[in-house]
Amino acid sequence: MKVIEIKNLTKIYNGSSVQVTAVDNVDLVIEEGEFTAIVGPSGSGKTTLLNMIGGLDSPTSGEIVVGNTNLATLNSKQLVDFRLHNIGFVFQAYNLIPVLTAGENISFIMEMQGKPKKMITKRTIEILKEVGLADREKSRPNQLSGGQQQRVAVARALASKPKFIIADEPTANLDTKSTENLLDIMEELNRRENITFIFSTHDQRVVNKARRIIVLEDGKIVKDEQKNV
Amino acid sequence: MIWSLSWKNIWRNKKRSFIVISAVTLGVVAGVFTAGLMKGWVDQRVEAAIYTEVSHIKIRNQDYLLNEEIKYTIPDQEKVVAELKNNPDVVAFSNRLKLTAMAASSRGNTALMLVGIDLNDEKKVSNVFEKMVPNAGTFFETDMGNPVVISDRTAEALRIKSYELSAEVLDSLAQSDIPKSVISKLEPIAGKKFITEKLFKKGLNTVLSKSEINKYGGAIRSAATHYRLRSKIVFTFTGTDGEMRYQTLKVCGIYKTTNAMFDQMNAFVLKNDIAPVAGFTSGENHEIGVILKEDVNARHFRDEMKGKFSGLNVMSWQDLAPDASMSSEYMNIYYYIIMGFILFALAFGIINTMLMAILERTKELGMLMAIGMNKKRVFRMIMLETIFLTMVGAIVGMILGYFVILITSHTGLDFSSVGEGFEAMGWSAMVYPEIELQFFIGVTILVIVTGILSSIIPARKALSLKPIEAIRTE
Ligand SMILES: Nc1ncnc2c1ncn2[C@@H]1O[C@H](COP(=O)(O)OP(=O)(O)OP(=O)(O)O)[C@@H](O)[C@H]1O
Ligand SMILES: [Mg+2]
Repeated sequence: MKVIEIKNLTKIYNGSSVQVTAVDNVDLVIEEGEFTAIVGPSGSGKTTLLNMIGGLDSPTSGEIVVGNTNLATLNSKQLVDFRLHNIGFVFQAYNLIPVLTAGENISFIMEMQGKPKKMITKRTIEILKEVGLADREKSRPNQLSGGQQQRVAVARALASKPKFIIADEPTANLDTKSTENLLDIMEELNRRENITFIFSTHDQRVVNKARRIIVLEDGKIVKDEQKNV
Repeated sequence: MIWSLSWKNIWRNKKRSFIVISAVTLGVVAGVFTAGLMKGWVDQRVEAAIYTEVSHIKIRNQDYLLNEEIKYTIPDQEKVVAELKNNPDVVAFSNRLKLTAMAASSRGNTALMLVGIDLNDEKKVSNVFEKMVPNAGTFFETDMGNPVVISDRTAEALRIKSYELSAEVLDSLAQSDIPKSVISKLEPIAGKKFITEKLFKKGLNTVLSKSEINKYGGAIRSAATHYRLRSKIVFTFTGTDGEMRYQTLKVCGIYKTTNAMFDQMNAFVLKNDIAPVAGFTSGENHEIGVILKEDVNARHFRDEMKGKFSGLNVMSWQDLAPDASMSSEYMNIYYYIIMGFILFALAFGIINTMLMAILERTKELGMLMAIGMNKKRVFRMIMLETIFLTMVGAIVGMILGYFVILITSHTGLDFSSVGEGFEAMGWSAMVYPEIELQFFIGVTILVIVTGILSSIIPARKALSLKPIEAIRTE
């Protein structure tokens, strides 16, 4: 089943002197359950592409359809709600609210989604266990390591089973061990909960874990490779 | 969740929040205290105006107002008195004779108004009898013939007041909390008589240091004050026949109110001791002071009486003591203006702080908006933070303010050093602050409104953030 369908997607930034075509006429389909890496040199348009897929940035032309929804048809208010209910986000940093505990950070998004209280409590504990942080529910972000913080972020993105999760360089600030650990957990969750992951990275070890690798260069897809499992 | 998140957010930067909270606290303490002070001051003034000076209502002959001549007594007095007796709004009234007189002792003289009263009626209407200077006689509780009660001011004018540190006075001072060392320093001027306050002060200056005088001078002076009670005072006035009349009265007590002008003007005498001398034979009076029930509108009562009797001048306390009435009417307005200024200044502080807090959290707010926190929620979060910050300060401030007032309402605040002029106008220099629930409610509402208004600018600032720009990592 198609989760995301992108047609002729282009993003042009109009700088003061130069025009930058960050994403250049991209066609792309993401199927349910994919574990896809977007790679490419710095400035190749990875972040721009992911932001548009995530409904954070609007395309110059082309269209993005998530499930049955064409993102262009949503106004900004509807878009926020759409993100809340359909897309999980993991950023490179600043993922968590520092004054809330790991558990509260995860519950918070489900509360915004209006999930019932009982369900929230249950799911928070369950998902913390899945990312290996069952004992850190009451810890504040600043009491967790960088890797643990990213795991909480993944847990939060995943908590209410979104259609897909976007992670823009989730491991950029992590050491080797934490990077591997985070990727293992993401993959595990991808398999077990059948959640679609799209992440960008510079890191070859991360690339190696992906089952599909899309290579961008100057905003164009130059390679799209499926690995057999 | 947003509530608890907002609450937690205000404690992120403890130092900054603490500064804002203390500023709000101070503002509210200042506001509540100002309110209490003004209320206390005004209430004291109104109380003094009504129960000591002018009563709720004063009834006089309308000609008497133009020309205070002895012949202008109240017309149709029996009917007026009967009306007052039967009117359910009236608590008490007192008939008075008023004679413009010259008072002379063997040492000095002064012009004043000799007020002839019926003792029992007068005590129900005016509380001058409670304003007697301690150890300086009584309000007509005497067997002495022809007694008169004069004020401390009048005693000074008549030079029957003196200051002397007698052995007795020194003994009583030794019992007080004035240190022995200070009392022993008084030795050189002990037993000497000073006939004016000025001279006594001079005397004190020769033996005590400035700081000792500041601390204990007042207590020493009032202990040393001596009135020559039973002094004979000759009062000269015009009789009903237009001839000069004289009456010798003996000082039986000294009173002192907070209104120096009232004190200077009025000396009290029993009506029976003066009426026959003046030429009155059938119970005529110049003035009736009336006390009404608490909830009766004095102005309405005044208009009613005016309608019923012609030739009468009827005035309410608002007419007679316009300063007291004005200040009690405008007090709330003044108060809210002062409070408004305080809160206005605070609002700037709050807005500034919240803008800083938002600037610091740009990335976090961007992240929240990216993952799906809508504008309504962001707005509410920032608004709640601002309101919490304000409310914490307000609550602490109200508790503190309450205690400040609780304490000062017992001890009173002495403004005599800065406000000598006040007493001359009838405003007590000793103020006992009061507080009413309505002020607390008023302050709470004002603070909440300030919090809400101050939160709009920071909240809008937060909404103007663009998630992708906020979360971009450079
Ligand atoms: N807001 C913007 N305004 C102007 N140009 C932009 C803006 N955002 C990105 N660009 C340009 O678009 C191009 C693609 O940027 P993008 O951030 O998508 O690259 P990237 O692949 O994510 O790079 P990196 O690996 O360094 O994160 C770059 O040339 C960048 O300079
Ligand atoms: Mg990037």
